[in-house]
Amino acid sequence: MTPLLEIEGVEKNFGGLVAVNKVSLAIRQSETVGLLGPNGSGKTTLLNMISGAVAPSAGLIRLRGEKISSLSPHRISHKGVARTFQLVRILPSLSVRENVVTALAFGTNPLWGDAATRLAMEKLELVGLETRALERPGNLTYIDQKRLELARALASQPALLLLDEWLAGLNPTELDASIGLIQTLKSEGICILLVEHIMAAVRALCERSIVMNVGAVIADGPTEVVLKEDAVIKAYLGEDYA
Amino acid sequence: MGRPVLFILTAVVFAVLAAVPLFLEAYGLGLMIGITGYVILASAWALFSGPTRYVSLATVAFFGIGAYTVAVLGDKLPYPLILVVALAIGLAVALVVGLATLRLAGVYFVVFTFGLAELIRQLITWFEVNVTGTLGRYIFLPLEARHIYWQLLALAALTLLISLWLGKSRFGLALRVIGDDEVAAAHAGINVTGTKLALFALSASIMTLVGAIQAPRWVYIEPSIVFNPTISFLTLIMALLGGPNRLLGPLCGAVPLFLLFEWLSANFPNHYSIILGLLFIAIVFLVPKGVLQLLETSLFRRKAGTPGALRKDRGIEGGHP
Repeated sequence: MTPLLEIEGVEKNFGGLVAVNKVSLAIRQSETVGLLGPNGSGKTTLLNMISGAVAPSAGLIRLRGEKISSLSPHRISHKGVARTFQLVRILPSLSVRENVVTALAFGTNPLWGDAATRLAMEKLELVGLETRALERPGNLTYIDQKRLELARALASQPALLLLDEWLAGLNPTELDASIGLIQTLKSEGICILLVEHIMAAVRALCERSIVMNVGAVIADGPTEVVLKEDAVIKAYLGEDYA
Repeated sequence: MGRPVLFILTAVVFAVLAAVPLFLEAYGLGLMIGITGYVILASAWALFSGPTRYVSLATVAFFGIGAYTVAVLGDKLPYPLILVVALAIGLAVALVVGLATLRLAGVYFVVFTFGLAELIRQLITWFEVNVTGTLGRYIFLPLEARHIYWQLLALAALTLLISLWLGKSRFGLALRVIGDDEVAAAHAGINVTGTKLALFALSASIMTLVGAIQAPRWVYIEPSIVFNPTISFLTLIMALLGGPNRLLGPLCGAVPLFLLFEWLSANFPNHYSIILGLLFIAIVFLVPKGVLQLLETSLFRRKAGTPGALRKDRGIEGGHP
């Protein structure tokens, strides 16, 4: 079976800086994969290339066997890739509900009017924001803004969901609730690639993890195994601790 | 107020406006033409710049293209066909310019649009002097003031209808999302470039038509008249005064400002520009979000104490980062 996402020899250079260096990996349907690595290891750049925010300098990205690496972000979104951002991106002049309607109205099967409103409310219910539907997202707490962003990403009915440090900054209770939410999404069969620094969450959610360092993949396998590898420990903690 | 009442009221207002030429003498009708022209320009400007917050100073580029097309083709083609040609040229220029510039953000876009208007003026001047050997053209069309006025009134109605539709449509939502965050818009599936381009072209087409319809009023035109950058600045400040994110905002800005400018240029012809400049500064400082929103906010405060439930759209803030 063709993997959902295939990345082949993908590179990204910013001037002389090699942010991502010949990365190849494949993600199968309904996998939840953690993308780990120290700051500056190229995780977000890789996510940006998958979602089309930046174009790769070299290499190929395929979704369900179809090349997406030269498409613009809105086309990639129509193919079934949705994402959240490390620094949350809400739409401040729209209501909470309209934020979600946006993704429905311009999705693969555009919805408008009552149908869109109804489905938007469903997505808001899923993330626990249904009572805030008519408010401005600026009134929401940071955590709720992240939830809103997730609801918007889900509204575009993605096959692949990219979460960029979506769990960062949560308190322990919120973290548990949020892990539970992602588990619900997993059970619905959405394939999730998550960039995350919270190891407890990665262990709870991801059966597989990929670790990057200085732009390259240094480990890829079952999460528990990967986290014990010498190269991974060195990358995170430095030579002295290995 | 229910929708039917509003509809009837609007129809009555337009009927009264359409009957105006039967009662007004030449000067009054001239004023009405000027006002209607600026109402359309400001509304068309706000159509694009309101939701996207791209500040355009290209208004006069398109207005001038319309007027100049009429001047060149005035005695060569039937009038309705001239309007179609003018519209086609304006649309074509808008599409080319839009494709080239809508990737520019913030102040770069402002500067480019200002430069564009100047460039077109200089190109036409050069062409007229060096190729056709004329500078300035006469327009003799069998159109009376009231004919021009009626055309403008119809175009104004059309422009307001488009604005109304845009406020409720998917396309309008796309523009608001783009105005908020282009990156989020693109990742939510919105074709950002295509949407901006379509609306820029629509707005520019309307501006072109205003120039084309008004051209016969001048009888004699030359590039410095129809490509006068003051037209761009007036349009901008009118839309800002009324509030570019309200359906009737540009109208509410255009009517009083046009009358004020008329009065100023008649009574203080030597200090007109200075007063104009001071007025621009005052409007940007005092009512950055437009008079309508200011009124709404203060009324609401008096009623309920907080403005929290109001639509909090931001004014034009000089563009995106």
